[in-house]
Amino acid sequence: MPLYGTLDITRDPRRLPTVANLDTEAWALPKAEMMQLLIEVPRTSTEGLLPKAMHPALPSYVIAAFTRYPESPVGAFNLAVLRLGSRAGAHPRGFLLGALASTEAAAKELRSRWGFPVEHGEVKFTRRHDRVMGTAKKDGKTVLDCALVDPQPVAGSDVQYINWVTAANAPLDGQTTPLLIQVDPKYAFHKSERGKPQVSAFDASAWNAGDITLADPIIGTCCTVDTDLPRIRFVMDPLKPVFQGTRRIRESRADE
Amino acid sequence: MKFGLFYEISIPRPWTPEREREVYNNCLEQVKLADQLGFSNVWAVEHHFLEEYSHCSAPELFLTACAMVTKNIRVGHGIVVCVPEFNHPIKIAEKTATLDILSGGRLEVGTGRSATWTELGGFRANPDTTKKSWDEFVRCLPKMWTQETFAYQGEFWSMPERTILPKPYQKPHPPMWVAVTSPGTEIDAADRGMGSLGLSFAGYAEQEKKIKEYRRRIQLCEPVGSFVNEQVATTNFLFCHEDEKIGVETGKRLGNTFNYLATQLISTREVFSSPSYQSLGLLPALRRAATGPDASEQQTEGMAYGDPARIIRAIKHWESLGVDCVNFILNANETIPQEQVMASLRLFGKEVMPVFASKPSNVAAAE
Repeated sequence: MPLYGTLDITRDPRRLPTVANLDTEAWALPKAEMMQLLIEVPRTSTEGLLPKAMHPALPSYVIAAFTRYPESPVGAFNLAVLRLGSRAGAHPRGFLLGALASTEAAAKELRSRWGFPVEHGEVKFTRRHDRVMGTAKKDGKTVLDCALVDPQPVAGSDVQYINWVTAANAPLDGQTTPLLIQVDPKYAFHKSERGKPQVSAFDASAWNAGDITLADPIIGTCCTVDTDLPRIRFVMDPLKPVFQGTRRIRESRADE
Repeated sequence: MKFGLFYEISIPRPWTPEREREVYNNCLEQVKLADQLGFSNVWAVEHHFLEEYSHCSAPELFLTACAMVTKNIRVGHGIVVCVPEFNHPIKIAEKTATLDILSGGRLEVGTGRSATWTELGGFRANPDTTKKSWDEFVRCLPKMWTQETFAYQGEFWSMPERTILPKPYQKPHPPMWVAVTSPGTEIDAADRGMGSLGLSFAGYAEQEKKIKEYRRRIQLCEPVGSFVNEQVATTNFLFCHEDEKIGVETGKRLGNTFNYLATQLISTREVFSSPSYQSLGLLPALRRAATGPDASEQQTEGMAYGDPARIIRAIKHWESLGVDCVNFILNANETIPQEQVMASLRLFGKEVMPVFASKPSNVAAAE
């Protein structure tokens, strides 16, 4: 059967964010501008980064994303994330390796509500006509500097965003233990472009990304979307294949 | 109704030389038996880099071996990738003609464009242009097979005038097909007068809709070849057993294993935003079906597993929808032992095929 990840997130739970409960309310995030760059990475450099419950994507790739959220319950903020392409059972997922939010409040809430491994940092999202640029700094050091070059219009229907999985301590059945949490935002597209990914600075360690090196760019997209951070619907045992260890927390998004 | 075999050649880890050889030999043994039983076709995919899902990267070699150990069964590319980074069209014309000669005129040529980023990215092919290059290739191939000399200047390839040799054994040329996974590709097949080689596992209603549209459109087609190949083939899993419960359970295990492996592939649309890949192809249905390799959920209707009576009912339904040929996947990741696969084939030949045969199947010779 397919390869599995080798990361045991239960070994050092103190490194993981802790979610207060699995009942966080949803956040509506209208008119977000989201630049997403997909880049292939060597498989050997990703082996220890993916939880045992999940399958690696073949080929291995990462998703570097910068998003400008002009409206949210904690005000406007920018968010930079690095996700690892993977599979939860049969479904494509982006496993969240690391994130930086431009405000303390956003970092705190994203960490405690959805279990994002997010810290406060300097995150810039800059749109020009020839490119869209993202820069992330942590403790004054540039940890990701990238761009989508030569954006060209495409239809929103041409773009597919995959759901997220994050690792966090979360209370379930009276115990707080390491779990995998699925975060599955919805997207309504207002504007969509694609272009060539370009990365000029990348510090893998700042994103909990081991010794990942960026190899072959796939494609970049930049979209204006109405999106959300929904209520948590699924959690997964980090040590069992997800088709055996998935637990549904609530039936559907209709209960929001 | 005709029956065929369909090979992805799925091989479990660890990939030792012995393991690879064993699985290829198992496939050849199955093909030999299928030929004796009266199966019409054996198809082999062209896939690259797809880990356990498929090791069939040189289908023309496997199909040549099939032709060498059989007498009647037709050998089919299911499909040859018509993207210049994968295959040069001159080489396609030459290799298919050679295989047609070696097989004594038993070649079917399925065409397609690849659906995965794993493959397209691996060859550094541009997903935006695969439909266009496929269209060029399928219009050139019949001319390359039939004209004394050929010259071409197109968007994706060109050549000065040369004599492309050898020419196929079949005259005017082998039948041409299109792999149909994405919605609408059946229209591409019909408009070009090509056979519809269905590679998805859609249920009755969805297939019926596609078949009706295909039959309607092909009446006014402009064939790319010298003749219209109006045929509809679908893909199915086969496991036939005297005991219905064992047949269904084993068949489901086969289907679940295949589907789970298939869903690990990176569909182009998943990572590369392109108007050329609006659909995820067969993956959404597979993901619904592939909860896990040991899932017990009901799979797509119409699967050919169970006892002979159950399989006959399913195939009769396909026949009533206008399907001309059902191609069977016999194994995935060797989840079914070879002796059980062979027994399943024999039982199918003995109990099921005669129901659909225009002439008696050659079961006695196989026993």
